[in-house]
Amino acid sequence: MSLSADPQAPPISSGAEPATDALVDRGWRHRHLLDVAGLDEPDLDLVMRTADEMRGILARPIPKVPALRGISVTILFYEASTRTRVSFEVAAKNLSADVVNIAAASSSVAKGESLIDTVRTVEALGADVLVMRHGRSGASDLAARVFSGHVVNGGDGWHAHPTQALLDLYTLRDHLPDGDLHGRKIVIVGDILHSRVARSNIWSLTTAGADLWLCGPATLLRGFEPLAAALPASRRLTVTTSIDAALAGADAVMALRLQQERMSGGLLPSLREYAARYQLNAARMVGAAPDAIVLHPGPMNEGVEIASDLAAGGRSVITEQVANGVAVRMAVLYLLTGGRTTETADG
Amino acid sequence: MTARQIMTADEIRRALVRISHEVVERHGGTADLALVGVQRRGVPLATRLALDIAEHEGVTVPVGALDITFYRDDLSLVAHQPIVKGTDLPFDPNGLTLVIVDDVLYTGRTVRAAMDALMDFGRPRAIRLAVLIDRGHRELPIRADHVGKNVPTSREEVIRVHLLEVDGDDQVEIDRLGAEVALA
Amino acid sequence: MVAAVGEVVASLALERVWLVDPAAGREGVAALRIEDGRIAALAWLPEDTGPTPTTLVLPGLTDLHVHAREPGDEDAETVATAMAAAAHGGFTCICLMPNTRPPIDTAAAVGQLRAAATASQTPIRVEIIAAITAGRAGAGLAPMAELADAGAVAFSDDGAPVGDAALMRHALAYAGALARPIVEHAEDRALTDGAEMHDGVAATILGLRGWPAAAEAAAVARAIAILEEVARAAPADAAPRLHLTHLSTGAAADLVRAAKATGLAVTCDVTPHHLVMHDGWVAGDRRWAWQAIADPWAGGPTEALPYDTATRVNPPLRPPADAAALAAALRDGTIDAIATDHAPHTDVAKDVEYGDAANGISGLETALGQLLAAVDAGVLDLPTVVRALTVGPDRVLGSAGAGLVVGAPADLVVVDRAGSWLVDATSLRTLGHNTPLLGRDLPGRVLMTLAAGRWAWIAGGETR
Repeated sequence: MSLSADPQAPPISSGAEPATDALVDRGWRHRHLLDVAGLDEPDLDLVMRTADEMRGILARPIPKVPALRGISVTILFYEASTRTRVSFEVAAKNLSADVVNIAAASSSVAKGESLIDTVRTVEALGADVLVMRHGRSGASDLAARVFSGHVVNGGDGWHAHPTQALLDLYTLRDHLPDGDLHGRKIVIVGDILHSRVARSNIWSLTTAGADLWLCGPATLLRGFEPLAAALPASRRLTVTTSIDAALAGADAVMALRLQQERMSGGLLPSLREYAARYQLNAARMVGAAPDAIVLHPGPMNEGVEIASDLAAGGRSVITEQVANGVAVRMAVLYLLTGGRTTETADG
Repeated sequence: MTARQIMTADEIRRALVRISHEVVERHGGTADLALVGVQRRGVPLATRLALDIAEHEGVTVPVGALDITFYRDDLSLVAHQPIVKGTDLPFDPNGLTLVIVDDVLYTGRTVRAAMDALMDFGRPRAIRLAVLIDRGHRELPIRADHVGKNVPTSREEVIRVHLLEVDGDDQVEIDRLGAEVALA
Repeated sequence: MVAAVGEVVASLALERVWLVDPAAGREGVAALRIEDGRIAALAWLPEDTGPTPTTLVLPGLTDLHVHAREPGDEDAETVATAMAAAAHGGFTCICLMPNTRPPIDTAAAVGQLRAAATASQTPIRVEIIAAITAGRAGAGLAPMAELADAGAVAFSDDGAPVGDAALMRHALAYAGALARPIVEHAEDRALTDGAEMHDGVAATILGLRGWPAAAEAAAVARAIAILEEVARAAPADAAPRLHLTHLSTGAAADLVRAAKATGLAVTCDVTPHHLVMHDGWVAGDRRWAWQAIADPWAGGPTEALPYDTATRVNPPLRPPADAAALAAALRDGTIDAIATDHAPHTDVAKDVEYGDAANGISGLETALGQLLAAVDAGVLDLPTVVRALTVGPDRVLGSAGAGLVVGAPADLVVVDRAGSWLVDATSLRTLGHNTPLLGRDLPGRVLMTLAAGRWAWIAGGETR
């Protein structure tokens, strides 16, 4: 987007198609972001375009705008997480919001104060937006029932991690031709069963038209074959235990972290066996598309689900995911609090 | 149809030519001068002004685009609109005289937001304002340096500026609020 | 009429009603007159050609499975409030489960419950089910003979299965000699560790820990196999009896059907909520099971919000296909009874994260309405439903009431079939408001419940 010095040059290009008034978008209609399952293609598109704006702001010398001035964002994390928590905090501050950070060390039950009481307290202290991460599926839905402002789910149990799915989508669009996922083969490998990242990505990626594959050991894929069968035909989901079938021709591959706890639950014999059969490494990626990219939500167990050289190599977009996470979270906070990217009709 | 045309294509052209002369006259030349169009219709207006200046001064003044969405105050929220194209200032604003260009000046809040945005990019030496239409009803102490046409209006009326680059034709209409089908 | 709960019914005339009497094997237009607590007159009116009466009269209903939470959790329910709720639901007899704190495993504890029942305002019959194992700890048998002498009608460790198969074998044998059934909560705990809802597509989408149907099928198969073994070797006057409570899967019903075909003394019951609700309700779906069966929930918008802890129950709500299989099993006689498994909880126990919420649905007052919805939809017929709430439970307990015959104490419930009622905090008598039916209108309204000749419930005119 720039003007050349030549007076014959076309007027300043805005980077988008010459939009007419017919291209009205609905704006953002959701009070909370608990899940990506409730977002349709226009919603996803709006988040992506808003994130583009935010990325523009992040590139400025002062990466800050007053859009959320006077808005109070409380970050309430019941599970330890540095990267997501800091990402939300940076996002909120870049929009000039006031941020309060609460790291609850354990579940509300163990602590003695119920989740509902904690949320009510947060509300009484003036929070407009509540960003929550919790170990139980449905916890942010519960918070949304009692909180009068906006709730952003920063991850609940195995259920959903909407901002992660959105930043994954954003990153994929950056790298796929025309930013279009329709028909692209995207693969998620790892502990699907316990992964909220996988579950959310199932919705966002199939809504965006991707041909999504889930791959892992059978014990960690339990229940996803019947889910794939129950989904409408418009959502393309394939479940396989064969890493080679999954990676063949893949345009993008996402590795999920494998946790040691899975071994003690009897789900897997050992991490070594998992790595031998499912680790993403350069050798396995030979079967993928030549310009296939590699993603990971982090934090990584290098040497387990992903080889170090692949994580740091040319195919990896993992660090971009982190940067994009801030832009996407800025977009989410902006849209939820009622901001719309609009043009002034009045002056 | 309750819409009434208040500027034809020719009238728009003449107003812009006049403004382009005024801008240079006021600044005493074209050095350290830049135009900043406010998205959306301020941008093609700024581009046309730059072309006009180039014609009579032989110098191309830099043109930037400014998206003030993230700087609005609540009172100027507008219902569903196409998403805007963003900010692009291909010059260093420090020490320059920037002329904000917009289609309609009304409450003044957009211009205030534009000034806030520009301040985040640096420290211009001066900021001026050129608008195609001034419709009155200022809510802030803001005044245009250059005006294409003064059009007294009531709050029940709406001004619609059509520009070739955006709307396919050049004209300005005034209409009653609520009578519109497509939002301007 | 001015009457008070607890008083003998002085005089009541039911002119033209639809009478359903499974014990007599008959339903139709009838007229009854009650005087001084007894049925003074009862006449079937087969020549009646008028419109079908909208007032239903049924024998007083029996609920085999009620948790009254006393002693130990009186905030959630007391014997008195459970009895009032039961009468509102049309029940004139309820069986109390022993998983209280402390559990009912001594004659004294049985006696205390009986006393609490007698002291309550509601004149319905209360039977006590005592624990199988001492302290419900699953280690050694409770003093069953003593408990039977004190009046226990059956034994159960409900809330938990009898984990030790060897102990289960002994319990069946021992209770057989007392002519009391062992009521087993069939659940293989190894498969349900940490489980939150049925292990199906809805659980996968909601990210909740799954409760596989296999946990019930495996436990039922085990219990039946042990019953067969005990029956084979038992003395002739000590035939063991097994009753499987709250079956929730078609697979379990199939196992019972096969066992019954070989002549085994096994009976079973199903809850109203397992007949009408389904696992989609956890996601916020509110279609009845028969409405959802062609198109079970698989993502997409729902009527209610997801993760409503009122849907958390043990055994969990199953897919619509299981509800349909259970209805079929009820129609073909495989399932002997409907029992509510009334499980009231305080708001404190339920207003938490789904995985931390207590299991249980409060069901005494909503049972009839749910079942009438199934009848309205043609899924069940009224005589089958009424049989499962009267003759069926009586057979399981080995008891039988006097029935609807002239001279017998009046034990019946009068229902406005055309009416409906809103389930909410003001209409419920139970302390436990934990039902996903809150805010919903249910068909049928209980107008009067008469228990052994006394007023137990009067709609709108009740005095306490």
